[in-house]
Amino acid sequence: MTSSDLARSTMALFVVLAVQQTLLDSVRVAGAHPEAMLLLPIAAGYVAGPERGAGFGFAAGVLADLFLPTTFGLSALVGCLLGYGTGLATRGLVRSSWWLPPIVAAGATSVGLALYAILGAVLGEPGVVTTSLAPALAVATPAAVVLATPVVRLVSWALRPGAAGHSSGVSSGAR
Amino acid sequence: MARTRRPRRPRLTIGLLVLASISIITLDYRGDAHGAIGHLKSAASDAFSPVQRVVDDVTHPIGSFLAGAVNGAEIERDNAKLRQEVGRLQGQVLAHRATANALKAIDQLNHLTWTEGIPTVTAQVIALNSSNFAATVELNVGSRRGVTAGMPVVGGAGLVGQVISTTSTTSTVRLITDAGSAVGVRYGPTSLELALAQGDGIGKPLDINFISPGTPLHTGEVLTTSGLQNGLFPPLIPVARITSFRSTASSTQENVSAQPVADLAQLDYVDVLQWPPAG
Repeated sequence: MTSSDLARSTMALFVVLAVQQTLLDSVRVAGAHPEAMLLLPIAAGYVAGPERGAGFGFAAGVLADLFLPTTFGLSALVGCLLGYGTGLATRGLVRSSWWLPPIVAAGATSVGLALYAILGAVLGEPGVVTTSLAPALAVATPAAVVLATPVVRLVSWALRPGAAGHSSGVSSGAR
Repeated sequence: MARTRRPRRPRLTIGLLVLASISIITLDYRGDAHGAIGHLKSAASDAFSPVQRVVDDVTHPIGSFLAGAVNGAEIERDNAKLRQEVGRLQGQVLAHRATANALKAIDQLNHLTWTEGIPTVTAQVIALNSSNFAATVELNVGSRRGVTAGMPVVGGAGLVGQVISTTSTTSTVRLITDAGSAVGVRYGPTSLELALAQGDGIGKPLDINFISPGTPLHTGEVLTTSGLQNGLFPPLIPVARITSFRSTASSTQENVSAQPVADLAQLDYVDVLQWPPAG
Protein backbone atom coordinates (compact mmCIF):
# COMPACT_ATOMS: atom_id res chain seq x y z
CA MET A 1 0.00 0.00 0.00
CA THR A 2 1.49 3.34 -1.08
CA SER A 3 1.25 6.55 0.95
CA SER A 4 -1.27 7.83 -1.58
CA ASP A 5 -3.47 4.75 -1.01
CA LEU A 6 -3.19 5.27 2.73
CA ALA A 7 -4.12 8.94 2.42
CA ARG A 8 -7.19 8.12 0.31
CA SER A 9 -8.30 5.38 2.72
CA THR A 10 -7.83 7.68 5.73
CA MET A 11 -9.77 10.43 4.00
CA ALA A 12 -12.65 8.07 3.18
CA LEU A 13 -12.79 6.87 6.80
CA PHE A 14 -12.87 10.41 8.20
CA VAL A 15 -15.43 11.69 5.68
CA VAL A 16 -17.88 8.93 6.63
CA LEU A 17 -17.11 9.39 10.34
CA ALA A 18 -17.83 13.14 10.05
CA VAL A 19 -21.11 12.52 8.20
CA GLN A 20 -22.11 9.91 10.80
CA GLN A 21 -21.26 12.04 13.83
CA THR A 22 -22.67 15.33 12.60
CA LEU A 23 -25.64 14.49 10.41
CA LEU A 24 -26.73 10.85 10.61
CA ASP A 25 -26.65 10.66 14.41
CA SER A 26 -29.37 13.34 14.39
CA VAL A 27 -31.61 11.42 11.99
CA ARG A 28 -33.50 9.17 14.35
CA VAL A 29 -36.66 7.14 14.31
CA ALA A 30 -37.72 5.34 17.49
CA GLY A 31 -34.36 6.28 18.99
CA ALA A 32 -32.32 4.55 16.25
CA HIS A 33 -30.21 6.14 13.51
CA PRO A 34 -28.51 5.08 10.22
CA GLU A 35 -25.15 3.31 10.51
CA ALA A 36 -22.83 4.65 7.80
CA MET A 37 -19.72 3.41 9.64
CA LEU A 38 -21.02 -0.15 9.26
CA LEU A 39 -21.22 0.37 5.50
CA LEU A 40 -17.46 0.96 5.24
CA PRO A 41 -16.38 -2.67 5.78
CA ILE A 42 -19.29 -3.85 3.63
CA ALA A 43 -18.26 -1.56 0.78
CA ALA A 44 -14.59 -2.51 1.17
CA GLY A 45 -15.38 -6.23 1.05
CA TYR A 46 -17.62 -5.70 -1.96
CA VAL A 47 -15.13 -3.54 -3.83
CA ALA A 48 -11.76 -5.05 -2.88
CA GLY A 49 -12.36 -8.59 -1.66
CA PRO A 50 -12.23 -10.37 1.69
CA GLU A 51 -8.67 -9.55 2.75
CA ARG A 52 -8.76 -5.80 2.18
CA GLY A 53 -12.36 -5.74 3.37
CA ALA A 54 -11.26 -7.23 6.68
CA GLY A 55 -8.38 -4.74 7.08
CA PHE A 56 -10.50 -1.72 6.14
CA GLY A 57 -13.32 -2.99 8.38
CA PHE A 58 -10.95 -3.32 11.33
CA ALA A 59 -9.68 0.25 10.84
CA ALA A 60 -13.22 1.63 10.47
CA GLY A 61 -14.31 -0.29 13.57
CA VAL A 62 -11.47 0.99 15.76
CA LEU A 63 -12.26 4.54 14.61
CA ALA A 64 -15.97 4.09 15.38
CA ASP A 65 -15.17 2.58 18.79
CA LEU A 66 -13.39 5.79 19.80
CA PHE A 67 -16.75 7.58 19.77
CA LEU A 68 -19.03 4.87 21.18
CA PRO A 69 -19.91 4.19 24.81
CA THR A 70 -20.01 0.42 24.20
CA THR A 71 -17.12 -2.05 24.71
CA PHE A 72 -13.95 -0.88 22.95
CA GLY A 73 -12.96 -3.27 20.15
CA LEU A 74 -16.48 -4.61 19.52
CA SER A 75 -16.96 -2.55 16.33
CA ALA A 76 -13.45 -3.53 15.18
CA LEU A 77 -14.30 -7.22 15.55
CA VAL A 78 -17.64 -6.84 13.77
CA GLY A 79 -16.01 -4.64 11.09
CA CYS A 80 -13.29 -7.11 10.13
CA LEU A 81 -15.69 -10.07 10.13
CA LEU A 82 -18.22 -8.12 8.06
CA GLY A 83 -15.63 -6.94 5.51
CA TYR A 84 -14.27 -10.46 5.17
CA GLY A 85 -17.72 -12.05 4.96
CA THR A 86 -19.01 -9.55 2.39
CA GLY A 87 -15.89 -10.08 0.28
CA LEU A 88 -16.34 -13.84 0.34
CA ALA A 89 -20.09 -13.76 -0.26
CA THR A 90 -19.89 -11.40 -3.25
CA ARG A 91 -16.71 -12.82 -4.83
CA GLY A 92 -18.46 -14.63 -7.64
CA LEU A 93 -21.02 -11.95 -8.43
CA VAL A 94 -21.01 -10.05 -11.71
CA ARG A 95 -20.98 -6.39 -10.72
CA SER A 96 -22.92 -4.94 -13.61
CA SER A 97 -26.16 -3.97 -11.90
CA TRP A 98 -26.75 -0.65 -10.15
CA TRP A 99 -29.07 -2.32 -7.68
CA LEU A 100 -26.54 -4.84 -6.40
CA PRO A 101 -24.68 -2.58 -3.89
CA PRO A 102 -27.93 -1.49 -2.12
CA ILE A 103 -29.08 -5.10 -1.78
CA VAL A 104 -25.68 -6.26 -0.52
CA ALA A 105 -25.54 -3.29 1.88
CA ALA A 106 -29.01 -3.99 3.30
CA GLY A 107 -28.33 -7.68 3.84
CA ALA A 108 -24.86 -7.18 5.29
CA THR A 109 -26.06 -4.33 7.56
CA SER A 110 -28.69 -6.63 9.06
CA VAL A 111 -26.09 -9.34 9.62
CA GLY A 112 -23.63 -6.80 11.07
CA LEU A 113 -26.16 -5.34 13.51
CA ALA A 114 -27.26 -8.80 14.65
CA LEU A 115 -23.62 -9.83 15.10
CA TYR A 116 -22.91 -6.65 17.07
CA ALA A 117 -25.91 -7.23 19.32
CA ILE A 118 -25.09 -10.91 19.93
CA LEU A 119 -21.41 -10.22 20.69
CA GLY A 120 -22.47 -7.29 22.87
CA ALA A 121 -24.85 -9.54 24.81
CA VAL A 122 -22.07 -12.13 25.25
CA LEU A 123 -19.88 -9.36 26.68
CA GLY A 124 -22.59 -8.37 29.12
CA GLU A 125 -24.03 -5.25 27.43
CA PRO A 126 -27.61 -5.18 28.82
CA GLY A 127 -30.65 -5.20 26.54
CA VAL A 128 -28.82 -5.05 23.22
CA VAL A 129 -30.67 -8.01 21.69
CA THR A 130 -34.02 -7.70 23.47
CA THR A 131 -34.38 -3.91 23.39
CA SER A 132 -32.09 -2.17 20.89
CA LEU A 133 -31.74 -4.58 17.96
CA ALA A 134 -35.24 -4.30 16.47
CA PRO A 135 -35.32 -0.47 16.12
CA ALA A 136 -31.70 -0.49 14.88
CA LEU A 137 -32.58 -3.02 12.16
CA ALA A 138 -35.76 -1.13 11.23
CA VAL A 139 -33.88 2.15 10.70
CA ALA A 140 -30.36 1.19 9.64
CA THR A 141 -31.33 -1.41 7.01
CA PRO A 142 -33.45 0.88 4.81
CA ALA A 143 -30.90 3.67 5.37
CA ALA A 144 -28.18 1.33 4.10
CA VAL A 145 -30.07 0.99 0.81
CA VAL A 146 -30.00 4.78 0.38
CA LEU A 147 -26.41 5.26 1.54
CA ALA A 148 -24.90 2.23 -0.23
CA THR A 149 -24.17 3.82 -3.60
CA PRO A 150 -22.29 6.92 -2.33
CA VAL A 151 -20.34 4.90 0.26
CA VAL A 152 -19.38 2.21 -2.30
CA ARG A 153 -18.27 4.96 -4.71
CA LEU A 154 -16.15 6.57 -1.99
CA VAL A 155 -14.56 3.29 -0.87
CA SER A 156 -14.06 2.29 -4.50
CA TRP A 157 -12.10 5.53 -5.02
CA ALA A 158 -10.11 4.91 -1.83
CA LEU A 159 -9.21 1.27 -2.52
CA ARG A 160 -9.24 1.17 -6.33
CA PRO A 161 -5.51 0.62 -7.02
CA GLY A 162 -4.46 -2.93 -6.22
CA ALA A 163 -7.96 -4.20 -5.59
CA ALA A 164 -6.94 -7.71 -6.60
CA GLY A 165 -9.58 -9.97 -8.00
CA HIS A 166 -12.39 -7.44 -7.68
CA SER A 167 -13.52 -4.71 -9.95
CA SER A 168 -15.38 -1.68 -8.69
CA GLY A 169 -19.04 -2.52 -8.66
CA VAL A 170 -20.30 0.98 -9.07
CA SER A 171 -17.85 2.42 -11.57
CA SER A 172 -18.55 -0.45 -13.93
CA GLY A 173 -22.24 -0.69 -13.14
CA ALA A 174 -25.41 0.51 -14.84
CA ARG A 175 -24.29 -0.17 -18.34
CA MET B 1 16.17 -21.30 -8.47
CA ALA B 2 13.61 -18.61 -8.90
CA ARG B 3 10.82 -18.70 -6.31
CA THR B 4 7.40 -17.36 -7.00
CA ARG B 5 5.86 -15.20 -4.28
CA ARG B 6 2.75 -16.72 -2.83
CA PRO B 7 -0.14 -14.34 -2.34
CA ARG B 8 -0.94 -13.53 1.28
CA ARG B 9 -3.68 -15.67 2.62
CA PRO B 10 -6.92 -13.90 3.48
CA ARG B 11 -7.49 -16.44 6.25
CA LEU B 12 -4.26 -15.45 7.96
CA THR B 13 -5.25 -11.77 7.74
CA ILE B 14 -8.72 -12.28 9.17
CA GLY B 15 -7.28 -14.55 11.86
CA LEU B 16 -4.80 -11.89 12.96
CA LEU B 17 -7.41 -9.12 12.87
CA VAL B 18 -9.90 -11.16 14.90
CA LEU B 19 -7.15 -11.93 17.40
CA ALA B 20 -6.25 -8.24 17.61
CA SER B 21 -9.92 -7.29 18.14
CA ILE B 22 -10.42 -9.90 20.84
CA SER B 23 -7.23 -8.72 22.57
CA ILE B 24 -8.49 -5.11 22.58
CA ILE B 25 -11.91 -6.21 23.87
CA THR B 26 -10.26 -8.30 26.62
CA LEU B 27 -8.04 -5.41 27.71
CA ASP B 28 -11.05 -3.08 27.88
CA TYR B 29 -13.26 -5.68 29.57
CA ARG B 30 -10.73 -6.55 32.26
CA GLY B 31 -9.99 -2.88 32.84
CA ASP B 32 -6.23 -3.35 32.29
CA ALA B 33 -6.09 -0.68 29.61
CA HIS B 34 -9.08 1.34 30.76
CA GLY B 35 -6.99 4.44 31.45
CA ALA B 36 -5.19 4.35 28.12
CA ILE B 37 -8.42 3.69 26.18
CA GLY B 38 -10.16 6.48 28.10
CA HIS B 39 -7.39 8.91 27.20
CA LEU B 40 -7.52 7.79 23.57
CA LYS B 41 -11.30 8.30 23.43
CA SER B 42 -10.98 11.64 25.17
CA ALA B 43 -8.30 12.83 22.72
CA ALA B 44 -10.36 11.67 19.72
CA SER B 45 -13.48 13.39 21.02
CA ASP B 46 -11.58 16.62 21.75
CA ALA B 47 -10.01 16.56 18.29
CA PHE B 48 -13.33 15.94 16.59
CA SER B 49 -15.56 18.31 18.57
CA PRO B 50 -14.57 21.46 16.58
CA VAL B 51 -15.66 19.71 13.35
CA GLN B 52 -18.88 18.67 15.06
CA ARG B 53 -19.55 22.23 16.25
CA VAL B 54 -18.85 23.78 12.82
CA VAL B 55 -21.15 21.35 11.02
CA ASP B 56 -23.77 21.78 13.75
CA ASP B 57 -23.57 25.57 13.35
CA VAL B 58 -24.10 25.15 9.60
CA THR B 59 -26.88 22.56 9.73
CA HIS B 60 -28.81 23.92 12.74
CA PRO B 61 -30.08 27.10 10.98
CA ILE B 62 -31.04 25.00 7.95
CA GLY B 63 -33.09 22.76 10.22
CA SER B 64 -34.72 25.80 11.81
CA PHE B 65 -35.50 27.27 8.39
CA LEU B 66 -37.03 24.02 7.24
CA ALA B 67 -39.16 24.05 10.37
CA GLY B 68 -40.70 27.22 8.97
CA ALA B 69 -39.35 29.61 11.57
CA VAL B 70 -37.93 32.99 10.70
CA ASN B 71 -35.16 33.64 13.22
CA GLY B 72 -35.99 30.12 14.33
CA ALA B 73 -32.67 29.40 15.98
CA GLU B 74 -33.04 32.27 18.45
CA ILE B 75 -36.66 31.42 19.23
CA GLU B 76 -35.73 27.76 19.68
CA ARG B 77 -32.99 28.75 22.13
CA ASP B 78 -35.43 30.91 24.13
CA ASN B 79 -38.02 28.14 24.09
CA ALA B 80 -35.46 25.63 25.28
CA LYS B 81 -34.46 27.86 28.18
CA LEU B 82 -38.11 28.47 29.10
CA ARG B 83 -38.82 24.73 28.92
CA GLN B 84 -35.89 24.16 31.23
CA GLU B 85 -37.19 26.82 33.65
CA VAL B 86 -40.73 25.38 33.64
CA GLY B 87 -39.29 21.91 34.09
CA ARG B 88 -37.17 23.05 37.01
CA LEU B 89 -40.23 24.62 38.70
CA GLN B 90 -42.29 21.46 38.08
CA GLY B 91 -39.44 19.50 39.57
CA GLN B 92 -39.47 21.68 42.66
CA VAL B 93 -43.23 21.19 43.04
CA LEU B 94 -42.82 17.43 42.77
CA ALA B 95 -39.87 17.48 45.12
CA HIS B 96 -41.81 19.53 47.68
CA ARG B 97 -44.72 17.10 47.42
CA ALA B 98 -42.35 14.19 48.03
CA THR B 99 -40.77 16.11 50.89
CA ALA B 100 -44.14 16.74 52.49
CA ASN B 101 -44.90 13.01 52.32
CA ALA B 102 -41.60 12.15 53.89
CA LEU B 103 -42.08 14.70 56.68
CA LYS B 104 -45.24 12.93 57.77
CA ALA B 105 -43.25 9.88 58.75
CA ILE B 106 -39.87 11.22 59.75
CA ASP B 107 -39.36 13.80 62.44
CA GLN B 108 -35.84 14.70 61.60
CA LEU B 109 -34.95 15.07 57.95
CA ASN B 110 -31.57 16.66 58.02
CA HIS B 111 -30.48 14.84 54.91
CA LEU B 112 -33.25 16.13 52.65
CA THR B 113 -31.87 17.44 49.36
CA TRP B 114 -32.93 17.92 45.78
CA THR B 115 -30.82 20.22 43.68
CA GLU B 116 -30.93 22.93 46.33
CA GLY B 117 -27.58 23.18 48.02
CA ILE B 118 -25.83 21.00 45.46
CA PRO B 119 -23.48 22.85 43.08
CA THR B 120 -24.62 22.44 39.48
CA VAL B 121 -23.11 22.94 36.04
CA THR B 122 -25.63 23.91 33.38
CA ALA B 123 -24.96 22.16 30.10
CA GLN B 124 -26.41 21.91 26.63
CA VAL B 125 -27.11 18.59 24.92
CA ILE B 126 -25.00 18.62 21.75
CA ALA B 127 -25.52 15.09 20.46
CA LEU B 128 -27.90 12.20 20.96
CA ASN B 129 -26.89 8.57 21.32
CA SER B 130 -23.92 7.73 19.08
CA SER B 131 -24.67 4.02 19.30
CA ASN B 132 -27.89 2.26 18.37
CA PHE B 133 -27.21 -0.03 21.33
CA ALA B 134 -27.01 2.53 24.16
CA ALA B 135 -29.29 5.38 25.29
CA THR B 136 -26.82 8.21 25.84
CA VAL B 137 -26.50 11.93 25.17
CA GLU B 138 -23.43 14.13 24.92
CA LEU B 139 -23.11 17.42 26.84
CA ASN B 140 -20.98 20.45 26.01
CA VAL B 141 -19.24 20.47 29.40
CA GLY B 142 -16.44 18.21 30.56
CA SER B 143 -13.70 17.81 33.13
CA ARG B 144 -12.53 21.39 32.55
CA ARG B 145 -15.83 22.56 34.15
CA GLY B 146 -15.55 20.10 37.02
CA VAL B 147 -17.73 17.34 35.57
CA THR B 148 -16.61 13.79 36.41
CA ALA B 149 -17.97 10.31 35.75
CA GLY B 150 -20.70 9.28 38.18
CA MET B 151 -22.33 12.70 38.57
CA PRO B 152 -26.16 12.71 38.32
CA VAL B 153 -27.79 14.80 35.59
CA VAL B 154 -31.20 16.43 36.01
CA GLY B 155 -33.32 18.28 33.49
CA GLY B 156 -36.94 19.18 33.04
CA ALA B 157 -38.75 17.96 36.11
CA GLY B 158 -36.40 15.25 37.28
CA LEU B 159 -33.57 12.81 36.85
CA VAL B 160 -32.13 12.40 33.35
CA GLY B 161 -29.21 10.04 33.94
CA GLN B 162 -25.64 9.79 35.06
CA VAL B 163 -22.33 10.90 33.55
CA ILE B 164 -20.39 7.80 32.43
CA SER B 165 -17.35 9.41 30.79
CA THR B 166 -15.84 12.82 30.22
CA THR B 167 -13.33 14.55 27.99
CA SER B 168 -11.96 18.00 28.77
CA THR B 169 -14.86 19.70 26.95
CA THR B 170 -17.64 17.11 26.68
CA SER B 171 -19.28 14.40 28.73
CA THR B 172 -21.42 11.36 27.94
CA VAL B 173 -24.56 10.74 29.98
CA ARG B 174 -26.29 7.36 30.25
CA LEU B 175 -30.03 8.07 30.28
CA ILE B 176 -32.28 6.38 32.83
CA THR B 177 -34.05 4.64 29.91
CA ASP B 178 -30.83 2.81 28.91
CA ALA B 179 -31.11 -0.92 29.49
CA GLY B 180 -28.00 -0.73 31.68
CA SER B 181 -29.44 1.93 33.99
CA ALA B 182 -30.81 1.02 37.43
CA VAL B 183 -31.88 3.69 39.92
CA GLY B 184 -33.00 3.02 43.48
CA VAL B 185 -36.35 4.72 44.12
CA ARG B 186 -38.81 5.40 46.95
CA TYR B 187 -42.59 5.20 46.70
CA GLY B 188 -45.67 4.90 48.83
CA PRO B 189 -47.64 7.35 50.96
CA THR B 190 -44.67 8.01 53.22
CA SER B 191 -41.96 7.55 50.56
CA LEU B 192 -40.36 4.86 52.68
CA GLU B 193 -40.87 1.84 50.41
CA LEU B 194 -37.93 0.96 48.16
CA ALA B 195 -37.81 -0.33 44.57
CA LEU B 196 -35.48 -0.34 41.56
CA ALA B 197 -36.25 1.61 38.35
CA GLN B 198 -34.59 -0.12 35.41
CA GLY B 199 -34.33 1.21 31.84
CA ASP B 200 -35.82 -0.75 28.96
CA GLY B 201 -34.62 1.20 25.93
CA ILE B 202 -35.06 4.59 24.29
CA GLY B 203 -38.61 5.93 24.45
CA LYS B 204 -39.88 3.03 26.55
CA PRO B 205 -41.22 3.30 30.11
CA LEU B 206 -39.07 2.21 33.05
CA ASP B 207 -39.60 -1.18 34.67
CA ILE B 208 -40.07 -0.82 38.43
CA ASN B 209 -38.86 -3.95 40.19
CA PHE B 210 -39.05 -5.39 43.70
CA ILE B 211 -42.56 -4.16 44.56
CA SER B 212 -44.56 -6.89 46.32
CA PRO B 213 -47.79 -8.08 44.63
CA GLY B 214 -50.85 -6.29 45.90
CA THR B 215 -48.98 -3.24 47.15
CA PRO B 216 -51.35 -0.24 47.09
CA LEU B 217 -50.18 2.01 44.23
CA HIS B 218 -51.87 4.62 42.11
CA THR B 219 -51.35 5.86 38.59
CA GLY B 220 -49.45 9.14 38.54
CA GLU B 221 -47.60 8.41 41.76
CA VAL B 222 -44.15 9.97 41.64
CA LEU B 223 -41.10 7.84 42.40
CA THR B 224 -38.07 9.64 43.78
CA THR B 225 -34.45 8.62 44.18
CA SER B 226 -33.84 6.63 47.34
CA GLY B 227 -30.47 8.14 48.19
CA LEU B 228 -29.20 4.61 48.80
CA GLN B 229 -26.89 2.69 46.37
CA ASN B 230 -23.90 4.10 48.30
CA GLY B 231 -25.13 7.62 47.59
CA LEU B 232 -25.00 7.34 43.78
CA PHE B 233 -27.84 9.87 43.56
CA PRO B 234 -28.98 12.49 46.08
CA PRO B 235 -32.29 11.51 47.73
CA LEU B 236 -35.75 12.69 46.62
CA ILE B 237 -35.01 13.64 43.02
CA PRO B 238 -38.22 12.90 41.05
CA VAL B 239 -37.51 10.01 38.65
CA ALA B 240 -40.75 8.74 37.10
CA ARG B 241 -44.54 8.62 37.36
CA ILE B 242 -46.31 5.28 37.59
CA THR B 243 -48.32 4.66 34.41
CA SER B 244 -49.52 1.11 34.97
CA PHE B 245 -49.36 -1.70 37.50
CA ARG B 246 -50.75 -5.20 37.65
CA SER B 247 -50.05 -8.57 39.20
CA THR B 248 -51.30 -12.10 38.67
CA ALA B 249 -51.85 -14.84 41.21
CA SER B 250 -48.47 -16.40 40.38
CA SER B 251 -46.53 -13.12 40.31
CA THR B 252 -43.64 -12.75 42.72
CA GLN B 253 -43.73 -9.00 42.24
CA GLU B 254 -46.06 -6.29 40.94
CA ASN B 255 -45.48 -5.48 37.23
CA VAL B 256 -45.07 -1.71 37.37
CA SER B 257 -44.26 0.66 34.49
CA ALA B 258 -43.36 4.31 34.96
CA GLN B 259 -42.71 7.20 32.59
CA PRO B 260 -39.67 9.39 33.33
CA VAL B 261 -40.79 12.81 34.61
CA ALA B 262 -38.07 14.50 32.56
CA ASP B 263 -38.93 14.67 28.86
CA LEU B 264 -35.92 12.74 27.54
CA ALA B 265 -36.98 13.24 23.91
CA GLN B 266 -36.79 17.05 24.25
CA LEU B 267 -33.55 17.56 26.14
CA ASP B 268 -31.81 20.83 25.40
CA TYR B 269 -30.38 22.17 28.65
CA VAL B 270 -29.66 20.08 31.73
CA ASP B 271 -27.93 20.49 35.08
CA VAL B 272 -25.04 18.27 36.11
CA LEU B 273 -25.11 17.87 39.89
CA GLN B 274 -21.61 18.00 41.32
CA TRP B 275 -22.49 15.16 43.60
CA PRO B 276 -19.45 12.98 44.21
CA PRO B 277 -20.16 9.30 43.76
CA ALA B 278 -19.23 7.22 46.76
CA GLY B 279 -15.95 5.39 46.87
